[in-house]
Amino acid sequence: MTLADLYQLWNSAWPAGATMLGLGSGFAVVLLIASEKLKVQVDPKIEQIDGALPQIDCGACGFAGCTSYAKAVAEKPNLIGKCAPGGPETAGKIAEILNLQVSDSGAAQRPIVHCRAHAEDKTYYGQYQGILTCTAANALPTIQACKFGCIGYGDCVSACKFDALHNIDGLATVDYDKCTGCTACSKACPRNLIEMVPFRHENMMTVACSNRETGKATRSMCKVGCIACGLCVKQTDLFSVQDNSARLDYEKYQPNEQAETAFNKCPTGVIIYRGPSAPPPRQPKQKSAAKTASA
Amino acid sequence: MDTLNILLMGFISIVLINNLVFTKFLGICPYLGVSGRIDMAFGMGMAVTFVVTLSGTLTWLIDHLILMGTPLEVTRYVCFIMVIAGAVQLVEMYVRKFFPSLYESFGIFLPLITTNCAILGLCLFINLWEVDNLLEAVVLSFGSGIGFTMAICIMAGIRENLNLADVPECLKGAPITLITAGLLTLAFMGFAGMIR
Repeated sequence: MTLADLYQLWNSAWPAGATMLGLGSGFAVVLLIASEKLKVQVDPKIEQIDGALPQIDCGACGFAGCTSYAKAVAEKPNLIGKCAPGGPETAGKIAEILNLQVSDSGAAQRPIVHCRAHAEDKTYYGQYQGILTCTAANALPTIQACKFGCIGYGDCVSACKFDALHNIDGLATVDYDKCTGCTACSKACPRNLIEMVPFRHENMMTVACSNRETGKATRSMCKVGCIACGLCVKQTDLFSVQDNSARLDYEKYQPNEQAETAFNKCPTGVIIYRGPSAPPPRQPKQKSAAKTASA
Repeated sequence: MDTLNILLMGFISIVLINNLVFTKFLGICPYLGVSGRIDMAFGMGMAVTFVVTLSGTLTWLIDHLILMGTPLEVTRYVCFIMVIAGAVQLVEMYVRKFFPSLYESFGIFLPLITTNCAILGLCLFINLWEVDNLLEAVVLSFGSGIGFTMAICIMAGIRENLNLADVPECLKGAPITLITAGLLTLAFMGFAGMIR
């Protein structure tokens, strides 16, 4: 391309550019005037609340996004604590903007998976070759022996927007450093294994099983399932046994000696700590050791 | 008298015979999307009428005064879209200020008037039909807006009644809407060839 060509190109191009520029600036001026004349006064509180929200549009509050939640909360202050990722901090900020007092907005909710069985702990009847989602696999009664445990195809992993869930060796595992508590995973799990629990302490003691079969049946299908022996109930009344499975009252849980003893005595190691710096789960005791413990 | 005759014929033609929705299949997106309730459909029709009148007139002026004088017809599409986008912005501000509930119920469809192909289509048709008279361009643009309003209001009226009708299970929702649109189009095809 010679210089003359370039010159010719420029000559035929500049009027187009000039026209566009002229038209564009003309409309810009008109729109500028219109935007001043037709300005809509929006409640400044809504903008402030919107600024205090995390702006991740996760939908945990039940609204389409942070902006619509901000609008709703400005009108109805009783919706204040709905922002799960923001937690008590955001609730406090919103309360300040609305000139309200929040007494106890509660601890941040975090998900816990009611299962601790990795692939080697579970019993399988055969090999599953099908759609690799939990929802599809859950339709098959014989996908694995345990009808209550984690299937491990990661519906919750794909539901998580924050990369806080990972499928480690057939078990969904929460990364509590990244988790915001948006409840997406607990809604995604077809077996309702993921429960949102108030984390009043950095590391929470949890019961990682939801099996409702009898102890013997549980033993036969899972190395780390709860056999409902009741050893933990004897230690502290934080625990109870319902439907052949130990339950822990997460609202009342305080780290104390009795709970620690229950943690150590559990024959299958189903009571585990969860949290950003949780100690690793205990290995299940051998069958003989479990017998002596219960004897 | 002759001019008036031409203008009247042009108006009737664009509203009934060459209706953009029924015969050119333009602007189907809001036609099916916002035709759930008749008041919303009417609001949408009014918004489109305003935008199409404004942009039809402006584009005719720009086309004849600027683009045709200098050999810049190639930039027609870009210019037209710019005019339409500006007009839509104006309408959006206006509706937001004076009809907040309408603004809420339109949602995404209001800014989407920008990409309503009926409007760009009309601007280009005016050029294609070689309309060389500003008044005629204004009447045609306004008429196309009225035609769109009529189409979307007829559709909304039918759909409101369809809610009460006993529609077979497999046809509920979108299928019956599309069938309705097809039948409406067929009905309006009866006008074809009357003028122009």
